[in-house]
Amino acid sequence: MMTQIFLNMASAVPDRQVRVSRIGGRYLVFDIEDVVHIRRHHGMCAVFVGTMPQNPTQSILLSVPIELYAEEAKLLVDKKAAYIVDDAADHLSQLKTMDSSARKAYFQSLKSQRKAAQRVFDDSKAKDRARHAHKVPKGKALPSSASAEVEDSLFGSGTSAPASVVAETVRLPAVTPTASNVLMPSSAMSDTAPIKVPPTYPLYAFLNARGYYITPGLRFGGDYSVYPGDPFRFHAHYLATYYGWDQKIPMLDLTTSGRLGTAVKKGFLMGAEKPTEEQDAEPDPTGKNVRVFCIEWAGM
Amino acid sequence: MATTTKPEAHLEALTKIVLNNLENQHDWTGAKAHTQANLPRPMIYGLPPKRLYVHPDEQIAIIKAEKNRSERIPQPPEVEWVLPLHLAEKWSPAQFAEVFDAINAIPPESNNEEKSADSENPDAQWKAWRGAKRGKRLLLATVQDDSTVIYYFMFDGLVKPRQN
Repeated sequence: MMTQIFLNMASAVPDRQVRVSRIGGRYLVFDIEDVVHIRRHHGMCAVFVGTMPQNPTQSILLSVPIELYAEEAKLLVDKKAAYIVDDAADHLSQLKTMDSSARKAYFQSLKSQRKAAQRVFDDSKAKDRARHAHKVPKGKALPSSASAEVEDSLFGSGTSAPASVVAETVRLPAVTPTASNVLMPSSAMSDTAPIKVPPTYPLYAFLNARGYYITPGLRFGGDYSVYPGDPFRFHAHYLATYYGWDQKIPMLDLTTSGRLGTAVKKGFLMGAEKPTEEQDAEPDPTGKNVRVFCIEWAGM
Repeated sequence: MATTTKPEAHLEALTKIVLNNLENQHDWTGAKAHTQANLPRPMIYGLPPKRLYVHPDEQIAIIKAEKNRSERIPQPPEVEWVLPLHLAEKWSPAQFAEVFDAINAIPPESNNEEKSADSENPDAQWKAWRGAKRGKRLLLATVQDDSTVIYYFMFDGLVKPRQN
């Protein structure tokens, strides 16, 4: 059934080029549409790393951007589903060549985003009011609407200009765009510098090609945690570790990993890539030369 | 004796320890050392007192079949492969691959009357897991110096874990 799902998934991949930003040696995806696309069609959930400016240390409600493993970035590029952009250089060069009409269009788009945000606020406030309307006694209706006004001005304090000057915009909430795709609709320069992947790349490619989702494996003491589908819906099946084809593995390592895997109801998966005849060949994106073994406690 | 310095002597002793442990601690029957030209060392096969491994998908097939016939399906043990190893050893994936390539999924002397099971009958789907559908697996029997032996299943390929 797993392969069935995978085949369906593979056959219906819409043509989309995901913009991957290379920033400080990390691979980030900012556009939520791209995030959804690679999760749905390429089996990559990556790690959400975006937090709130007001509370940068919180780590339970993380959002875009997502940070891709180098393996994931390389696999996407190899599958021609993404392109890498050196974000700092790209921003600078595009901003320098921007004409006034593009500037105007950008400000206009910001304004429409803020208007959209205001609409959402208004809608939810209206819903709240409707829900609580029957609870409030008639006599006390006045003070509650006054407090709602205070709330309005709190949300509307997005701009520092005096309220009287820009009366129209002062009520619009401030919006911090999470992606600059409006500013730069197309990336002129794709960064073709090779992506340095860890030696575990063949195992990643092998598992991804078979429809498995992968998250970092440190919490189970391996290279990867391997899920049979989206981690929102499934528990991990394996904790996976990559070894060299001729790498000598101490038996104690296999035993401890097997023991841990069984304790958390997973299999310990060890994978290795068989070297091919061709010298310095690129790793295969389907991991066809990878051989895997699974280890579980025998219960005796 | 001069033979004690030979590496085969060490393997012979290792095999004996595991055989002894299987027979006397785990009540296996018919446990036998098995040598083969393309195997790097002797292996063991034998019959455990109760069934050691049921694939999760086989379990589903069994439950379905049991629902239809409203009685439990007996699960006799299967003959298993055993690979004796010492804790101090280090093996590479290439070596494990060599062992798996050399063995059949079903060890010799298995009484696979299920092999000829009627594949048309959906009620007998579960039987295929004892024959054609059985993947290659072996028990890693790891020996420590105090003669503790621990057993781990090793499967060839992606085999999903059991729901213990």
